[in-house]
Amino acid sequence: MLEVQNLYTYYDDFKVLNDVSISIESGNFVSIIGPNGHGKSTLLKTICGLLRPKSGIIRFNDKIISNLPAHLLVDIGIVYVAEKRHLFPEMTVFENLQLGAYSSHSRKMEKENLNYVFDLFPKLKIRKKQLASNLSGGEARMLAIGRGLMSSAKFLAIDEPSLGLAPNLRVEVFNKINEINKNGITILLVEQTITEAAKYIDKVYLLEDGSITFEGTTEDALSNNHIKKAFLGL
Amino acid sequence: MRYPIIILRKHFWDCKLYKVKGYFCKMLRQFLEVLVSGITLGSIYAVLALGLTIVYGVSKIFNLAYGSFFTWSAYLAWILTGGHFKLNYLIVIPLMIPILFFIGIGMDRVLIYPLRKRADWQTTTIFLTLGLALFLDTLAQIVFGPRVKSLPSIFPGSIEIHSFTISKNTIGIFCLSILLVILIELFLSKNRIGMAMRAVSQDQEGARIVGIPLDRLFSYAFGFSIVLVGVTSVFVSSFYNISPSGGWNPFIKAFVVVAFGGLGSTKGALYSAFILGILEAMVAWLIGGVWIMPFWFIVLLILLIVRPYGLIGKWG
Repeated sequence: MLEVQNLYTYYDDFKVLNDVSISIESGNFVSIIGPNGHGKSTLLKTICGLLRPKSGIIRFNDKIISNLPAHLLVDIGIVYVAEKRHLFPEMTVFENLQLGAYSSHSRKMEKENLNYVFDLFPKLKIRKKQLASNLSGGEARMLAIGRGLMSSAKFLAIDEPSLGLAPNLRVEVFNKINEINKNGITILLVEQTITEAAKYIDKVYLLEDGSITFEGTTEDALSNNHIKKAFLGL
Repeated sequence: MRYPIIILRKHFWDCKLYKVKGYFCKMLRQFLEVLVSGITLGSIYAVLALGLTIVYGVSKIFNLAYGSFFTWSAYLAWILTGGHFKLNYLIVIPLMIPILFFIGIGMDRVLIYPLRKRADWQTTTIFLTLGLALFLDTLAQIVFGPRVKSLPSIFPGSIEIHSFTISKNTIGIFCLSILLVILIELFLSKNRIGMAMRAVSQDQEGARIVGIPLDRLFSYAFGFSIVLVGVTSVFVSSFYNISPSGGWNPFIKAFVVVAFGGLGSTKGALYSAFILGILEAMVAWLIGGVWIMPFWFIVLLILLIVRPYGLIGKWG
């Protein structure tokens, strides 16, 4: 479904992504792990059109998308859920969700998507009329994911959803993401380590210093000595 | 500082000549008149400030040529109503709205869009608009000459309520401005593009994430802003004369209103427009017209000491 080949991304002159290649099958739940500041978010943003790659090719359903602007990518269903959430603080939860359905493609599906999001996150329905800035950390996270779903996402790139959440909320968020994945939406999840989500994940990539240094299933990752040493402290 | 005190005393002395009951009646009536004119001013400032703050909110730049568009819209209306064609306002205003909208979009496409690819485009653009303002003002002077022009009243005649008369123009402009403010608020809260404008001003990255095309929205914001300043300019110019650099005063006032309300905040602009409009009318009544800007300045300073980001402002 999504194929990234030899991707290089720079911030001005500073190379962040160095020859990254990944491939994701339709309906998969794929995770990219790696330490802070090694280019995970940059990779997601490049895929979603928020950053321009210097070179390399990104294909989505065999179409080359590496030079399309973000709003056209949202139109074909590639949606980014940011680590810093980037909600609209002075708008209500409902207005935030409405804006999720801004693209012409998702506007037709607005009602169905809204029902789906409210079914998935009943808390959002209760807090419909509250300002996004008044939500708790967990609720804001749900709203960010819900807003992504409102865009009729086929491919959801979620950036560190567990950041700053209490352990029980982390489990809840990962369960919800798994539920979304079971509904047929391909997920690319970025986390710093292998997390509670491990049991749902089909494939793990390790991104270090802008390059992919490991690729395999969760079991492979858990038995890999390098990963054990770097992340699990074993 | 002696000047205002003397005026106040003189005023008080004048009033003492009336009988006590008549005096209160007169003061009350004057107060109501001043309040109405303050609200009228407030609604005009509100539309002007909304036009300025929408562009700031969306693109984080100030359009320093805002006042020049005010001037040029007034001249355009002058050509259409009095200068060359003797058209009715009912035709002129609907005709001007699309023209102004496309002028705004054209300005964004031709002048600002090419700059936007550069890293430091905001500063460059602000200076570009300053240059544009000087160019347009000078051009107005060359084309229309330095002598002032005036527009016919939109609503000619006057009506009499009890014993005092009000021109129909005042009442009409008041109603139209309030209507315009309500329409803008509806546009920003209900319309998809209006909501997107608010979204961009609250979180630009968030707006890109949900798929709002920023470039197109910048153009819309500019078009919208020029329409607002142009229409207000026609309203104002049906009272006051048009001169080649006459746009600076309304621009500076709109700027103060925006800074008072909080940069980029539409709600703040709305509240502060009415606060400052009523303040202006009160100052003009009690102390004298020359003291309007000093008072605005003092009130702005005090507010910025208490709330550094303006009435309802946030940075970024």
